Amino acid sequence: MPPLLELTDIVMSTQDYVILDRVSVSFAKGASTVIMGPSGCGKSTLLKVAAGICVPDSGEVLVEGRSLTRLSDTRLREFRSSSGFMFQDAALWANKTIFENLALPLQLHRQELSPGELRARVLGSLARVGLEASAELRPAQMSMGENKIVSFLRALILEPALLFLDEPTPSIDHAALEKMMYMIREMKQRGCTIISVTHDAHLASLLANDLVVLKQGRVLAAADLASVRRSRDREVIEILSQVLSDAAAYDTDLLDLLGG
Amino acid sequence: MIGSLGRRFNLLLGELAYASGLLFAVLKESLLFFRHRQVGFRVFILQILFTAVEATSIVAFIALALGALIIIQGNSILPRFGQGKLLYTLLAIVITRELGPLLTAFIIIARSGTAIATELGNMVISHEIEAYVAVGINPIAYLVVPRFLGVTVSMVLLTVYFNFFGLFGSFLLTQLVQRIPFREYIGNLLAALAPADIVSSLVKSVVFGVIISFVAVYQGFRVKVSTTEVPQIAIKAVGQGFVLCILADAVITLIYYL
Repeated sequence: MPPLLELTDIVMSTQDYVILDRVSVSFAKGASTVIMGPSGCGKSTLLKVAAGICVPDSGEVLVEGRSLTRLSDTRLREFRSSSGFMFQDAALWANKTIFENLALPLQLHRQELSPGELRARVLGSLARVGLEASAELRPAQMSMGENKIVSFLRALILEPALLFLDEPTPSIDHAALEKMMYMIREMKQRGCTIISVTHDAHLASLLANDLVVLKQGRVLAAADLASVRRSRDREVIEILSQVLSDAAAYDTDLLDLLGG
Repeated sequence: MIGSLGRRFNLLLGELAYASGLLFAVLKESLLFFRHRQVGFRVFILQILFTAVEATSIVAFIALALGALIIIQGNSILPRFGQGKLLYTLLAIVITRELGPLLTAFIIIARSGTAIATELGNMVISHEIEAYVAVGINPIAYLVVPRFLGVTVSMVLLTVYFNFFGLFGSFLLTQLVQRIPFREYIGNLLAALAPADIVSSLVKSVVFGVIISFVAVYQGFRVKVSTTEVPQIAIKAVGQGFVLCILADAVITLIYYL
């Protein structure tokens, strides 16, 4: 079975440095992959390239064997309507209300919904995290944590089959985090393919079927969790220990480490 | 030295290639705009409201002042040389063909050009543009084209408005200082106003509208990583807008006299 998403020889650079250096990695359908690595190693860029948000300098992104950049308008629309992306900094549209932020993807991809159904769906989504009273607020009127939760809800609003999460947990309070974890678990049980960038050991342990370890734009390890567990690559273990802020990780079982 | 020149040249070529690509994409999506209008039509209307409707008072003020100045100066100087009738030719040329479109363009650059560049620049920084891409909205079609068309339509509307106030409104203002019979004024003015003056004014307004909106969008998208870049690109949008509009004005005027 071909992977759902495959990145081959991705190179991405600025004028000053290389962000991704010939990265090749694939994501299996229905699997949850966690991308880890120290800050600034290119994790978020890799996620955006995989989601087709950033176009790489060279290399190719294949969606079920087809090049993402060469998809027809209809296919690209299908890909967008079946995927959701949560941004590290929320990236809510500042000139729209919270309601409008969640409604826009539905207006675009679920045109069969009546205004009443659309409203019910958006308010229902907000009610799951207790934010239904904030529907008419602008993102600037809410905290960063609340904005991130709304960004998470926006990624989920189309009930996607492919979910990209970029550092979903920081800035979020404990109660909201529990709800978010529950919803992520639910998505995973439904067979949603989840690709996540995180430094959060708890989330990683909850999500990871596969693990990708990055360092300075290069892939150090990309395999299922059991294989990474058997890895004795010192660099991989060192990076994971740094990422998870666990100094004792050198001699620790990786699964224990991911289990927090 | 040669290496540095080469790098600059390469950078310039890259910028030109990017600007050409962006312009092509904007023009292509503009042709499709009314077919896909449900997506950005509201933004288009809001842009006209902001650029044209909200600027009517300042445009009227400048047009009235300019028209009144030309009438007062012309009426006091030209008759001394036996050229009193030239006043109307002067009014038609200065207001309709030259300063009407140009001053309107300056007002739009200062108000809307900076606003568009700043807004888009901030959206790039906060990843809002990427969020549009992520949900399947083409930022060119949704963000750029409504602003591009909105500014261009507004530029035409405001130029007509400027000309109207400059040519007719200023007559009323002049009556406070110097009495000129209305029939005489209108008759002479219409005789001096050639269709080519009106066509030239409209062509300039369309070209200026395209320049102002494109420069603002181009500069807005040049913001990369920091909010400190936003005021810098706003200043560049103003500077480039002024220079390109004046250059385009000179070229169109030259073509007019060829």
